[in-house]
Amino acid sequence: MRRLFALALTLLAFIAVAENRELPPAPGKPRDFALPAAETMTLANGVSLTFIDYGSVPLVTVLAVVRTGNIDEGESTWLADVAVEMLKEGTTTRPAGDIARAAAGMGGSLSVAAGAEQTSVGISVLSEHAAAAADLVADVLRNPRFPESELPRVLANFERNLSVARSEPDSVAGEALAKLVYGDHPFGRALPAAGQLGTYDIASVRGFYERNFGARRTHVYVAGRYDRATLETALRRAFGDWREGAPPTDLPPKASDVLQLRLIDRPGAPQSSLRIAVPVPDPASALYFPTTLTNSLLGGTFTSRITTNLREDKGYSYSPSSSISAHRGDALWIMNAEITGEHTAAALTEIFREIERLQREPPAAGELDAIKRYRAGLFVIRNSSPEGVLGQLAFMDLHGLPPEFLTRWVANMYAVTPQQVTDIAQRFILPAHMTIVIVGDLKTIADSVRALPQLREAQMP
Amino acid sequence: MRNAGLRFWSGLLIAVAMSGCSIQPLKSAEESALPSGINVPIEYYKLGNGLKVVLAQDASAPTVTVGVYYRIGMRIEPRDRTGFAHLFEHLMFQGSTNLGKMEFIRLVEGNGGVVNGSTRFDFTNYFEIVPAHTLETILWAEADRMKGLAITQDNLANQQGVVKNEVNDNVLNQPYGGFPWLSMPQLANENWYNAHNFYGDLAHIDAATLEDARAFFDTYYSPGNAVLVVAGDFDATQARAWIGKYFAVLPARAQAARPDISEPPQTAEKRKSYVDPLAPRPGLAVAWHVPGRGTPEHYAFGLLDEILLQGEDSALWQKLVQQRGYSSSVAGGINLLGNMFNYDGPMLWTLYLVHDPNVAPDSILADIDAEIARIQNAPPTQAELDRALTKIRAELYDLAGSSDHFGLVDLLAAFALFDDDPTRINRIESEFRAVKPGMISEVARAYLQRSQRSVLILEPGRTQGGSQP
Repeated sequence: MRRLFALALTLLAFIAVAENRELPPAPGKPRDFALPAAETMTLANGVSLTFIDYGSVPLVTVLAVVRTGNIDEGESTWLADVAVEMLKEGTTTRPAGDIARAAAGMGGSLSVAAGAEQTSVGISVLSEHAAAAADLVADVLRNPRFPESELPRVLANFERNLSVARSEPDSVAGEALAKLVYGDHPFGRALPAAGQLGTYDIASVRGFYERNFGARRTHVYVAGRYDRATLETALRRAFGDWREGAPPTDLPPKASDVLQLRLIDRPGAPQSSLRIAVPVPDPASALYFPTTLTNSLLGGTFTSRITTNLREDKGYSYSPSSSISAHRGDALWIMNAEITGEHTAAALTEIFREIERLQREPPAAGELDAIKRYRAGLFVIRNSSPEGVLGQLAFMDLHGLPPEFLTRWVANMYAVTPQQVTDIAQRFILPAHMTIVIVGDLKTIADSVRALPQLREAQMP
Repeated sequence: MRNAGLRFWSGLLIAVAMSGCSIQPLKSAEESALPSGINVPIEYYKLGNGLKVVLAQDASAPTVTVGVYYRIGMRIEPRDRTGFAHLFEHLMFQGSTNLGKMEFIRLVEGNGGVVNGSTRFDFTNYFEIVPAHTLETILWAEADRMKGLAITQDNLANQQGVVKNEVNDNVLNQPYGGFPWLSMPQLANENWYNAHNFYGDLAHIDAATLEDARAFFDTYYSPGNAVLVVAGDFDATQARAWIGKYFAVLPARAQAARPDISEPPQTAEKRKSYVDPLAPRPGLAVAWHVPGRGTPEHYAFGLLDEILLQGEDSALWQKLVQQRGYSSSVAGGINLLGNMFNYDGPMLWTLYLVHDPNVAPDSILADIDAEIARIQNAPPTQAELDRALTKIRAELYDLAGSSDHFGLVDLLAAFALFDDDPTRINRIESEFRAVKPGMISEVARAYLQRSQRSVLILEPGRTQGGSQP
């Protein structure tokens, strides 16, 4: 009853506005947008080089992406992270402090990060230092010293970060979701077990590096403004004689597709942290475009159905949103929301209601067209920056996508029909296949959540 | 680790940074033969109603960024309505003269753009990054909500719920929530305007009324209290015409008197410990008051910040992180909610870290003191100074060349709003270069005494070793 009343008020306000309404001036004619050109070559040892000449100011990014990460750590959770962090602790010719000072002297800072399947070492610098930046990136990747004296400090940092992660509702929910969705696959182990980090020694760090770093897994992207001949020469010299190493690991995870519900107690929490995951077509699939549009319409934009419903209509949550999370050969639709505790079950009901509505009836063409224009606009914004283009290319390389993925992106997206969106919802966004995790104050939320009709058959691992 | 609680967005899902790689924002370069310094083309004028307008053209991509900055931030809000400036930012998306609830956002997203707003110490901003051909539509929409709001009691109640959820997301349900960006100003400052809870007491957020909103809008959201910045790909003649058509017709309104927000000099160290019931490890934050914005001392302090605290080559990073291993990072700077230019009033230089319980805060403080004393006793080395200037130059080029133009719009707005001179952006580097090494030592002596600092100690309330969720 209260909700009906609220709806009526909203409607009245809208009408009051609409009566004397002045309409917004229509947009002009869209301007042409040309994707920055990218040129790729492969060295004899397997290192790929991609050059993107783009940017309005003289600056350059050199980013090496290595196809390794948590996928290669087996049960040694975060060993990839530890090994990659140790790359910054010095090379055979440069102590850690020298690396930091050299980077700053070029106007940049070295960025080193381990990911699930891609590890990056990169830096953005003043253009005049492009060749020196290439040398620094190559030195860090190829000649790590792995000083044993620094490992206890680095491990203590990870231990501290782990301790903080276990106190954050987001990390706790994420760990449980990963475990339920991916099981014993390395992607199922988001956080190390108690005491596990202490078992890593310099031999395990070095071993991870030796097994997983090498030319065949490495792609160096350059974007910005630079002297092509000088930089290409520097890169060939820096990477051309690196050992080939192993090919990338082929170990796609198999995501759960049975209904699972896990409730984790956070006594006294004012909010519930809700995470929902369900398998969907991955980026290499022909269904990927309609899948991403389905996500945009359901929960992927501010004006999406779930976000509007939970935030702007009900006020249950601050930034509820959904996204597509992809690995090579795997993708999930993931819904995140931090919800006022007392409205947890009601929010879940609304999410299911929006999914069921989309399964029942295709969206109006106007609604979907607005989403398409939004995505097309974002495409231009993203690809108007060297780092944006570079990120897209690294994504395409991981998923083995052809250049047409980018060049035909806008056309492919505009070709998606309302019926295709509903088909995706019907085939994939299925409550019966979902893994659901809620971290919250269970004494106040658990009964009402378990009583939801959509969750009655859920396994409770 | 995400212990930096700098987020103060209204949470509209900005999705510009979508690259899958964790590379730092781009730094940029100077042409080798050219004199150093950025040179942003700036057109600056005022409308009859007092609205400041800044235009900066850059046709490198077919996008345009529009920012409207109102000179009202978190400092100045009614004493029994803490958090109101931020709540009001949310209300600006709830309906205006010709646009119903959600229609503003639909207009932007449906035309291929992103939109957001944020509340800072001395301004509240609203901005859109959109395809260039939609500029007129966006200008019309921003003018529409400068003209007047149409908020219902229902929309107010809805956003009270959203904002309370935001406070829970960012502060109350998070370990290290508000540490130290929210807690430090309350310790280090004496004047209520600088020292209250900026996110707001939940009871104050609940108590807000439509009458409060109307009064706040009438007082602070007038054309004469705002700046409109347009940067990117547009035709200047056409943009001026549209701005005249949609903004110049808005009536001028009286300007509100500004309260005294000055801080008395601090003469004795302040210390406060508090328990964070959700945090598993201790935290330490230290803050000092910085020289007045825009003075030569302020620029010298900016260099001091670069030398001591910014980047992994900085003195404090090398000492606290690399040598001592207290933490995986030490963070901070001038103005934790922005940078050394986009505020207008007393400001703190803050540094903070999360450390282990076997390390006493005073041993960390002793190491910090030693690094500060080194600069107080002797000017920085030429190499340190060169690196600091190189880092600053790279940041400025990054700002000027970034295709989303957001950092550029932000600085232009700050210099227009607070200094009535957006062209200051083109003189930042020369101001830094004018600083003599000796002045950096002088500033360190004058502003970084122990008696002038505030020390905030966060005690972990969550038991150690709790490795199970």
